Amino acid sequence: MAENTPPDPAAMFNNWVTQWERAVDKFSNEFMGTDEFSKSMNQMQNLQLEFQRAFGEIMARQLASFNMPSREDVLQLSEDVRELDRRLARIETTLRKLLPEGSNEGAPRKSPPRTRKPPKAADKE
Amino acid sequence: MAESQVDVEIINRMQELVDKTIQRSVKGVQFLSSGKAKVGQTPKDLVYDRGTLRLYHYHPRSDEIYRIPMILVMATTNKGYVFDLLPGQSLVEYLLDRGFDVFMIDWEPPMQSERGLGLSDYTNDFIPSCIEKVQEITGEDDVNMVSYCMGGVLSLIYSATHPNGPLKNLVCMTTPVNWHEMGLFSVWSDERFLDVDKLVDTLGVVPADFIERSFEMLRPAQKTAGRLRVWNEMWNDEFVKSYRAFERWGNETLPLAGEYYRETTRELMWENKLYKGELMVDGVNVNLANITHPIMHAIAEHDHIAPFNATKPLLEMVGSQDKKELVLKGGHVSLIAGPNAVRRLWPNINDWLSVRSV
Repeated sequence: MAENTPPDPAAMFNNWVTQWERAVDKFSNEFMGTDEFSKSMNQMQNLQLEFQRAFGEIMARQLASFNMPSREDVLQLSEDVRELDRRLARIETTLRKLLPEGSNEGAPRKSPPRTRKPPKAADKE
Repeated sequence: MAESQVDVEIINRMQELVDKTIQRSVKGVQFLSSGKAKVGQTPKDLVYDRGTLRLYHYHPRSDEIYRIPMILVMATTNKGYVFDLLPGQSLVEYLLDRGFDVFMIDWEPPMQSERGLGLSDYTNDFIPSCIEKVQEITGEDDVNMVSYCMGGVLSLIYSATHPNGPLKNLVCMTTPVNWHEMGLFSVWSDERFLDVDKLVDTLGVVPADFIERSFEMLRPAQKTAGRLRVWNEMWNDEFVKSYRAFERWGNETLPLAGEYYRETTRELMWENKLYKGELMVDGVNVNLANITHPIMHAIAEHDHIAPFNATKPLLEMVGSQDKKELVLKGGHVSLIAGPNAVRRLWPNINDWLSVRSV
């Protein structure tokens, strides 16, 4: 009877994707799990870091000569803005707490009573 | 008779196939033109923030809550909204509905000025400061923690170095302790090849794409396979919604503070000091045998990030008498979020913690 059931193309496709994924991952993991791969990958990374450091220094010098900010300067500015933003948020919170009584805004959220008991079925193991 | 039944079934199947193809095309256009998935929608207050650290307090959803508040501790590599992905697929919502008072320690990308943060900042400053804040808000001395992956490692270090502290119960999820069993991560960070000092000293903060690339290399076909699956299931709104939320989460990997990365690589990955009981944080030895409070550890059978053999030894190492290990089917992420987690892990957390939260 089961032999007469027509195939479900969607299920077949999903099955194929799963098989393909497993095969690619297995092959890649075997290849990438070797010392040789790790060595090459880290060598490439070191080269990239060297290049990044050297290029960063040259760029910083060039930008300084054009009287323009470097990436470091922009990052620093962004950090300063984030810190200012945070300070403002803290000031806002403090101001809300100072609002006159009767105003709901800024009032601490009323917590439900901490008296809940676990359902009896869940006995302590 | 049997033949005509098969004919009808084939016609129905063809009809279904045509319907799905039409819907796939229509919804595919919507999919491509839609913005970021909406995640982390459960109402919450930011109650404490300092640099990379965020402490959120979720609004209770029941009239009566358990006495001991719960703090979710997120891994430092990813955003905490994996605990609150979508309505109906949210661990936070699940716990709130069952009467827990839920807080979450979450992380923002560390800034360059935070490049020097190390393990001691996380375990001797951030976690204790958050606990103090929770105590202040709730008026309760005791706290419970539910920690994921590296968040679990930080919680273990905190607990082992504060043995008489306010932590009453700890749930760890996929928390690696034997770092020499970290599979491909161990191979790629082999100390003969990885120059961790050059990496950290050059970059300061280890960029998110570096971390993300490492995760992706563990399962190189996963992303493409996911896209093929979502195309096939494009007619299924729930599937697509869930896929988009997970995809967003996977793409929003966090950078790591350089010193923290250096310490994790040297002390844990290379020297395996947590496992050997030789890890020192601020001059204090991290001996997991000092942990005596109840502890539960949920392990994923097919975890490719924190493999089974890396996570398995945890409960043998702690000094607790009241301990429970839960080995569940699934991977590193499907253990804690998504449809399988709703059925498998979450009820276990509720059952184990509810009786220990009064």
